[in-house]
Amino acid sequence: MSWELVAGLETHIELSTKTKIFCQCTTEFGGEPNTHCCPVCIGLPGTLPKLNRAVVEYAVKAGLATNCRIRNISKMDRKNYVYPDLPKAYQISQYDKPLCEHGFITLSSEKNINITRIHIEEDAGKLIHERGDTYVDYNRGGVPLVEIVSEPDIRSIDEAMEYIEKLRLIMKYIGVSDVKMQEGSLRCDVNISVRKNGEDAYGTRTEIKNVNSLNFIAKAMEYEFNRQVDILESGEKIEQETRRYNSELNITEIMRGKEDADDYRYFRDPDLVTIYLSDEEIKKFKDDLPELPGKKYSRFVNEYGLPEADASLLIKYKNVAEYFEKACKNIKNKKTAANYILVQIFRRLATDSEKEEFNISIPPEYLNELVVLVEEKKINSSMARNVLEKMLDTGKPVKEFITDEDMKGIDEETLRKLCGKAVKANKSAAAQYLAGKEKALGAIIGYIMRETKGKADAALATEIVKKLIRQ
Amino acid sequence: MITHEDILKIAKLAKLSVKETEIEQLTKDMSEIIKFADTINTAVEDKDEEFDDINNIVNAYHEDEVIKSFDKEEILKNSESVGNGCFVVKKHVNRR
Repeated sequence: MSWELVAGLETHIELSTKTKIFCQCTTEFGGEPNTHCCPVCIGLPGTLPKLNRAVVEYAVKAGLATNCRIRNISKMDRKNYVYPDLPKAYQISQYDKPLCEHGFITLSSEKNINITRIHIEEDAGKLIHERGDTYVDYNRGGVPLVEIVSEPDIRSIDEAMEYIEKLRLIMKYIGVSDVKMQEGSLRCDVNISVRKNGEDAYGTRTEIKNVNSLNFIAKAMEYEFNRQVDILESGEKIEQETRRYNSELNITEIMRGKEDADDYRYFRDPDLVTIYLSDEEIKKFKDDLPELPGKKYSRFVNEYGLPEADASLLIKYKNVAEYFEKACKNIKNKKTAANYILVQIFRRLATDSEKEEFNISIPPEYLNELVVLVEEKKINSSMARNVLEKMLDTGKPVKEFITDEDMKGIDEETLRKLCGKAVKANKSAAAQYLAGKEKALGAIIGYIMRETKGKADAALATEIVKKLIRQ
Repeated sequence: MITHEDILKIAKLAKLSVKETEIEQLTKDMSEIIKFADTINTAVEDKDEEFDDINNIVNAYHEDEVIKSFDKEEILKNSESVGNGCFVVKKHVNRR
């Protein structure tokens, strides 16, 4: 019997505002424990929270970039639960009037994953459990989050991964979060159930709380899918419960059952006033949005004529995409510029985070100069490759490595003579080529490139050499 | 209508222990309290349903500019137990 996975995600993303959501303490990651705190964010009685204007702006942008409808009138609510990471014993969140509703993200298959809502809330503090004690650090307490809730539209782990990746990229492009998963700035709760293929009704779901890496989300979903299928196939029932992913054992384990489910007793936070956004303000936020990754991708493919694989690699890192746009300015064949980035420059940036930072020694204008020279056929591609390496090593522009003499290249007559000389000097290679060994040509072309210090047009030289040998 | 189950649930949330013999009276009392509070529903309202802020104030914001936080010593000074710059509490296992 085959089973279908049904999943919805609640994605928490830390916003990159400078200050916390209800006070003006810094949101900077790390720092000595309890040094980014004030009476508001440690929940002392008598303090009054005041909403951060930038949090509303960032959340609205997140909503607009994911096709949400933005509410004109919104408010903050208290979600009550008792745990030491929450000094007030309630979290200020949004219940029935979230800032954004009814959005969607389109996957590469053109399927939409619908977004139920996006609301703003405060993060909790950090707990360190040691022996019988719990150490509480409130530096993270009050850091602003958006929670993006999807409909149960996800049908596979791949879809979940693509959805999160798309979400992550959009947030990065619009500049509302740096979404560093290793710093916990993106965390997911996964709601998951299974049903027989072809069935319409949803099965009983479980919720896996607080999974903080793409890899763990995939593993947790896989484990939970198999666990639920095993239970159903053995004729038993799924219990609606909250579970946690244990990455050491690669299993999900129960945290609490339905009967222990929290009663959050939401009510309006009387300390915080109504959030009102006019249509004009919302429109302005919309007009201010930068080009989103999906649109950029289509433009790279359709207008720039880049292969799909190249385009998706370039847009995957915001800094790379921006660099590329500057480097290929006024260039007819954009693919040339893309190649230098994706091959030579990427070779120097081994990890994902290095590519994301894209901290390289030359500005895009320098690469642009180099590509222009190639396009104008002033230097050939092998020479350009060498020069680019030198530029990257030193951070200096093209002119430092190429003289006017170099740019003249080699006229065809001189090249013809040199080819003749090269064939004579490499008689055995020529004979091998005649005998059908195509690769033998390499030795002859190599000779020519050495003699000309890389200035010769390799393609033209190959053509001439082939003719000479056949004669 | 307040039921016995409601009383037990509220007691659990409030972390109060309720004796079997008290439930009957508590149910009655709680119903009376709710009834009293319901009086407020008879008040005539002339407000926009969406706009439920009684003060009619909107958009009180702080600007996104960092102000120096308090000294750690000041933050921790009322705590019964402090260690490694943290508040120290008894271990709660796996609540969240």
